[in-house]
Amino acid sequence: MTGLIGADEVRRIADAALNLPRADGVEVLFMHEWGGLTRFASSSIHQSTHREDTGIRVRVVSEGRIGVTATNDFSPDGALRAAESALEMANVVAPDPQFPGLAPPAPIPEPQAFDEPTAQTTPSERAEAVAQLVARCPEGFTAAGAYETLASEVAVANTEGQFCWAPSSQASVTTVVTGPDGGSGFAEVFAAGRSELDPAAVGKRAADKAVASRSPRDLEPGRYTVILEPAAVSTLVGFLAWIGFGGRSLFEGRSCFTGKEGQLVAAPNVTIYDDALSEGTLGLPFDFEGVPRSRVDLIGDGVFRSGVYDLRTAKQAGTTTTGHALPPPNPEGPFPLNLFMAPGEADVDQMIASTEHGLLVTRFHYTNVVHPVESTITGMTRDGTFLIQDGRVAHPVKNLRFTQSILEALTGTEMIGRETELASEFFFSASRVPALKVSSFNFSGRSDH
Amino acid sequence: MPRRDRSGRLSAGPAGPPAPVKGPQRVLDVAKQAVEAARAAGADYADGRVVADDSESITVRNQEMEGIDRSTSEGLGIRVLVNGYWGFAATARQEPEEIERTAKLAVEIAKAAARLPMEPVVLAPVEPVTGSWHSPMQVDPFNVPLEEKVAMLMEATRRMQSVEGLAFAEGGIDLFRRRTILATSEGTAIEQTTVQSGAGIEGTALGDGELQRRSFPNSFRGHISAAGWEHILKLGLIEEAERTATEAVELLSAEECPSEVTTLVLDSGQVEIQIHESIGHPVELDRVLGMEEAYAGSSFVRPEDRGSLRYASPLVSITADASLPGGLGSFGWDDEGVPAQRVPILVDGVFENFISSRETASVLGLTSSGAMRADGWAHYPLIRMTNISIEPREGSLADIIGDTDDGVFMSTNTSWSIDDHRVNFQFGCEIAWRIEKGRLTTMYRNPNYTGITTEFWGSCDAVGGREEWTLWGTPNCGKGQPGQVARVGHGASPSRFRGVQLGVRG
Repeated sequence: MTGLIGADEVRRIADAALNLPRADGVEVLFMHEWGGLTRFASSSIHQSTHREDTGIRVRVVSEGRIGVTATNDFSPDGALRAAESALEMANVVAPDPQFPGLAPPAPIPEPQAFDEPTAQTTPSERAEAVAQLVARCPEGFTAAGAYETLASEVAVANTEGQFCWAPSSQASVTTVVTGPDGGSGFAEVFAAGRSELDPAAVGKRAADKAVASRSPRDLEPGRYTVILEPAAVSTLVGFLAWIGFGGRSLFEGRSCFTGKEGQLVAAPNVTIYDDALSEGTLGLPFDFEGVPRSRVDLIGDGVFRSGVYDLRTAKQAGTTTTGHALPPPNPEGPFPLNLFMAPGEADVDQMIASTEHGLLVTRFHYTNVVHPVESTITGMTRDGTFLIQDGRVAHPVKNLRFTQSILEALTGTEMIGRETELASEFFFSASRVPALKVSSFNFSGRSDH
Repeated sequence: MPRRDRSGRLSAGPAGPPAPVKGPQRVLDVAKQAVEAARAAGADYADGRVVADDSESITVRNQEMEGIDRSTSEGLGIRVLVNGYWGFAATARQEPEEIERTAKLAVEIAKAAARLPMEPVVLAPVEPVTGSWHSPMQVDPFNVPLEEKVAMLMEATRRMQSVEGLAFAEGGIDLFRRRTILATSEGTAIEQTTVQSGAGIEGTALGDGELQRRSFPNSFRGHISAAGWEHILKLGLIEEAERTATEAVELLSAEECPSEVTTLVLDSGQVEIQIHESIGHPVELDRVLGMEEAYAGSSFVRPEDRGSLRYASPLVSITADASLPGGLGSFGWDDEGVPAQRVPILVDGVFENFISSRETASVLGLTSSGAMRADGWAHYPLIRMTNISIEPREGSLADIIGDTDDGVFMSTNTSWSIDDHRVNFQFGCEIAWRIEKGRLTTMYRNPNYTGITTEFWGSCDAVGGREEWTLWGTPNCGKGQPGQVARVGHGASPSRFRGVQLGVRG
């Protein structure tokens, strides 16, 4: 069975590249991942996979010129060949005047616990978990989704003397339950270990929503008060990260937060931060150039505080890195991978009870950017959208298209849930977020289901 | 190994394919060993697929190097059927013990799937085949000196930067090579190599709360084709740099695209993405059968719609053709060994065929359309678009605009969104102009439009001719769990649609 390669062996492999002659600097990013995913549809297991791969990404510096080569030949010879290829590229390109140097040696926080049972999950164990989930579907309803267990180890070594290594594990289950008359419900859970997952509870939650969402009615698009469940909130937060929080877009004036440091950009009850070291997320203690991670307050009490930076964008912006580099060469710049929105004091029932006329949204689907500087995005509702009348859920409605500024929505945040969930977004990593009640949300179109 | 003649349409160019690092026979032996090990472990059917990917990417911004990187990845994926249940396992290592371990794991996974009973998978028949194929190429782009590539991007961005008011001038080149060797327990043994080359430029202007971009020849890193360096040389990045940058700056002071219902003319690049999202994905048979329900969704198209669903106006005929030279969705055989085919999807606007796999085709009593492809060695093959294209009709973009009394012309995609049944969509473009009495007049910024798939395609009353039909590449189509990225093609001509809602605002 597959297992960790370990820090000592990783260091030995990396050294083969670090000892490259004629280079001014070398950095090795080492990523080893394995895991199984049991995919089901129509309440049967139809595509189950297991994969293991190990990748080395070598960045070589020569007279201010940079080359990067990646390979999945992780032998010392493979690492050396990758380094030689990167040096060859570095020697023929123009110097990068913004190159900040490689990360200096620095202590790294303790990594999160590595769960060996998750790393060694068998196909039968995954299948049994899926069976527990599927068993919660009522007559006439079926489940589709995936149960995944992953394990990985990531290391960064460079010629400045930095070496960091961290193993991690992850387990997740996600499902959409569908049934007659258009009923559709969704639920998911992410955790560091599979013992934290309750597939039956996930199945029940999705099934209950599927039953409740049968026979949806047409609803005229327009502006509505909305209650967004955590999965929908994760879309807003994920896209805000994509178009706003990166140090590069901030520095270059492309961010919706450029020039707004210290200004109110959301309701005073909104706080968003990134913290890879928190137990509430699945994060590495260092970034992909070997800089230790730390908490960054992005929006505090509605005020924009700061973005996230890697070494290069920090140099450009005249600040210090926050430890948010992605793997090189990464023209997009740094990115927050472990976002949180601070909880409030309400629960979804209270939000519904306080709403005279509005919508309850389970999640959004296939969202994309309309206007990045205005933080406007568009997407569809999916898997359970409900009309709220006089403080009660009245009936399900057919899916609606929204076209909405994220910051305008956050400015209209009236209530925040006290519970948070680690919720995924179609394009981005998962964020830990609560439910929100937003005073006005623009629905610009509708679908037929 | 015998070389299969594909009627000359997909024959090798003068440069021929790149030399594999390992001999094809040795790699084929690995794939065959995987099949034998899986059969020995209890598989009723098995295929072994060894894939080696190489890529090179260069990005220049404002005449500075943003990034230059190469990547290689090689490994083995083993897919098995045991008592009608699928299993799949993949490994980067190819020593005999590891192959045997991975084959046994694939069988174990298939046996575990039986925990939830289902109708056993039946594979539609396919004739076993041996042969080789590679995409056409005149100049191997991986052999072109890096200095030449960088110099082209430096000059293009220099010319863009000469335009006053431009904030960022960016250029990129992307090269990709995939070698696939497939062996199956039915006797198929094939070797394929595709080489793809692409490049593009993008200018960004900033000011007064606006960010405006113009790209050439298309957005999201340009125009990529299954061809060699000759494709990049023909693009004209340097020649078009100044115009591209000028339009980006002009957009800053352009009027907002009005919110109205009117006639919409799209350039071929936007028709490409419209086809991709609202025709290509809905006709994937795995979606239709619910296999993608939990992730990207299903489809409004049903199995019984074949031959009867009025999907589009009679002007619209759509074809899936995996044998088109230059297409990112072109191959000799798919990852199940099914030969490349030309399949009519819409004929004169009526839905006729799905794109399918051996498993899904058999559900409908059909044979596979040959659309199964995996994102490298580590992934299970899925139904992916090949080259799904609109058949050209008549006339040029200028003819279509000249024939339009009032409307809006939009160019170059920026944004796409569609619901989980592929019904309600919204797209954004980089630039638009008013059409008045057959002429382009006022420039508009932030144009977008929205609609319902069959209503929109039903309103199509002009499709341009062959001379402006372009086979575009979409190298980033996402699908599946775990997530996979496919490289697909779309041929498109400029087209016109009536009564479309434009200008959706937040």
